[in-house]
Amino acid sequence: MKTKKWLGILSSVGLPLLFGVVIFVLWQTQVLHSWLGTDTITLPLPTRISEIISQNKDSIGSQVKMTLIVALGGLAAGSVMGYLIAVVASIFRKWGAGGLTIVSAFNAIPIVALAPVINNWTRDVSNDVSVRSTLAKIIVVTISCTAAMSVNAFRGLTELKPFSEDLMTSYAAPKIVVFTKLRLPNSLPYVFTALRVSVPASVIGALVTEYFAEDTVGVGRQIRENIVKGQYPTAWAYIATACAIGIGMYIILMLVERMVLKRRRA
Amino acid sequence: MTTAKKARKGPLPALKRFIHSKHMVTLVWILGIVVIWEIFACIVAATKRTPVNVLPHLYEIIGSFFSDKKVTGKMTMIELIGTACGETLSRAGIGFLTGIVLGYILALLMNLSRVVEKIAFPYLMIIQMIPILGMAPIILSITGDINSARVVIAAILTFYPVSTNVLAGFRSVEREKHELMYSYAANKFQLYTKTLIPACIPYFFTGLKISAPMAITASILVDTLQGGNGLGCMLSQSLKGGMTRLVFWDIVLISAIIGILSFVLMGLIERILCPYKRNKTSD
Amino acid sequence: MANEKTEIMLDSIGMVYKDQGGNDVTALTNVTLDIKKGEFISLLGPSGCGKTTLLRIIADLLHPTSGKITVGGVTPREARLAQRYGIVFQSPVLYDWRTVRRNVMLPLEIMHVPKDEREDIADSMLEMVGLTNFANHYPNQLSGGMQQRVGIARALAIRPEILLMDEPFSALDEFTREKLHIDLLKIWRKTNKTVIFVTHNISESVFLSDRVCVLSPHPGRLSAVVDIDLPRPRTLDMTDTQEFTELVAKVRNSFEGV
Repeated sequence: MKTKKWLGILSSVGLPLLFGVVIFVLWQTQVLHSWLGTDTITLPLPTRISEIISQNKDSIGSQVKMTLIVALGGLAAGSVMGYLIAVVASIFRKWGAGGLTIVSAFNAIPIVALAPVINNWTRDVSNDVSVRSTLAKIIVVTISCTAAMSVNAFRGLTELKPFSEDLMTSYAAPKIVVFTKLRLPNSLPYVFTALRVSVPASVIGALVTEYFAEDTVGVGRQIRENIVKGQYPTAWAYIATACAIGIGMYIILMLVERMVLKRRRA
Repeated sequence: MTTAKKARKGPLPALKRFIHSKHMVTLVWILGIVVIWEIFACIVAATKRTPVNVLPHLYEIIGSFFSDKKVTGKMTMIELIGTACGETLSRAGIGFLTGIVLGYILALLMNLSRVVEKIAFPYLMIIQMIPILGMAPIILSITGDINSARVVIAAILTFYPVSTNVLAGFRSVEREKHELMYSYAANKFQLYTKTLIPACIPYFFTGLKISAPMAITASILVDTLQGGNGLGCMLSQSLKGGMTRLVFWDIVLISAIIGILSFVLMGLIERILCPYKRNKTSD
Repeated sequence: MANEKTEIMLDSIGMVYKDQGGNDVTALTNVTLDIKKGEFISLLGPSGCGKTTLLRIIADLLHPTSGKITVGGVTPREARLAQRYGIVFQSPVLYDWRTVRRNVMLPLEIMHVPKDEREDIADSMLEMVGLTNFANHYPNQLSGGMQQRVGIARALAIRPEILLMDEPFSALDEFTREKLHIDLLKIWRKTNKTVIFVTHNISESVFLSDRVCVLSPHPGRLSAVVDIDLPRPRTLDMTDTQEFTELVAKVRNSFEGV
């Protein structure tokens, strides 16, 4: 029986790994290029890409820092705001539900329409380009992250197990106690459901808004700049970095979720 | 109620029902937003040099949308935006449909074969984690052609939500339904067509509601990277001058509306296809 | 003893499986039972006594680890492939997206019964369970008891020889249950099927069955088979009689180790 279990684990990890190795080989040997009809300039070999990354570690690092500031800042601000909106909506239940549909509608607005608008609004905030650009970018990411959190947090604050509210009423618990002891802990899994959506969204948002910003910092912007300049290997280095950021943040999220929700997994 | 009684009650009860309904709330919110916009627009008009850049009045935006003035020398606002929309939407639409088909097929394959599932699952996760939109420039340079780039990106973005949600839909079928089919000696094809596929429809639409606005966003984004006729191109052109600023705002508003409408449209289609979701009675 | 009237023959059936810790769990041991054609049999016991496991073995949803079982002379698998079973689960397991009538037609579609015939059969089944007026409703518009009746109609649609019921009424309130008992007995009298009814409710088993098979847990085994010789048709006021009470007591005393 134990061998069956090990075989299962091995195939779960091994098969995709094998698939990845196959893709890597196809890429390196340029078979992939002939399929896609590209050349090694537009699609550099993986070895070349890793070369560039190790050569430019410092400058890549500083770009990553800028992107992370935007992504994490927007994520934090959006999550907090989203949660607060959910709390308000759960108190004023009737108006809250309608308000949430509006917030979800905001989510459907393409970032590309939002970014230039916000840029204009923040133009007079400061004379320093980097400050006002960063602010504009963070605002856009915040908006993208708010909706997911508010919708999910609202569900977490209001969809309680049957009779749990009645139990609290029977203890004559004041509303604030009901909130801290019942609604808040209940909403925690839902918060993580929202984060699973908003963490990747914050990364994407950060990268995309960098295209529209005044200053030319950030991993996303570098991707574009380098392509425009024809420096493809560098562009791909930044793409690999962007993927790494996305994957890395998601893994961190999964680890945090596992730690926080561990005791709940009955 | 007899017809006489009904006639006496008049239109008032219907109106009352509307006032207390969910739609009223949404309407109030929309009105509230409009009011707040106008207030800010007035403040801006009083304090900024070029108010049009920051926050014009809503009526200005709407007015310019319907005006007959030629904007680029050849087309009026409506014509301009109309063609741009058509271009952007058609490409997004093709990508969207491609993504749906591929995503659905992958979900089926993943459900049919453990091997396929094991291979595909981590890569699907990776697709979700990497910022595809952020890779738009590179996809553009690989495909070389802006139209196919739009289709590819929209397809990739649609592919992930559709396949994961459809797979979840398949998995949501409780064990007893499988056992029921087993006891009737149903074959696999019947199992899928009669049980699994109808069961996954609500989940399918959840996936669509996520991916429809994203496909449109992607299409617009790709526009901004290169010249052409789409909404995104208009957007970047209007920013550089050569047209009035109101064009910019029109496009922003239209983009927002299209995004929201695509979301609503998916919901409507779902309501039509799934009449059984309404009329839930309690015991 | 097995003879031509035997529908289901169980011989020393045992079921052992491994739990999460890797230990052996004996769900059933040494169950020997003959079920005659047209009989109404109850499998009665508390949770964990293996009654559902036994039903599933008969239904070919599980394979016993030891012993032999034949259904109408063939293996359960062959019986299942010949579509001789109708199963009713504890929850109605109806398809939300199909109307009541189409839910009943489901097994007929799988058996490729022609369309007009399908509708006629479905309608007559719905009439038998008294739901003709709800044929075009959706399941979530029906109460729990009505949904369960649709489940029964669906199980009967392919005219199976054997009806397997796994605690079908345990989720319903007593009033609904009593009514469904009468309805079920009426249907059984009319269609002459062999019914195997799993329950944990002693008076339910005594009221409905010809024989009550008492199963005791740890390990799951057949402790007794009690003949219920109450006259048929059974009526609700029989439950107040002396004989009924004595039979219930007899069944209760047959439990071991509870």
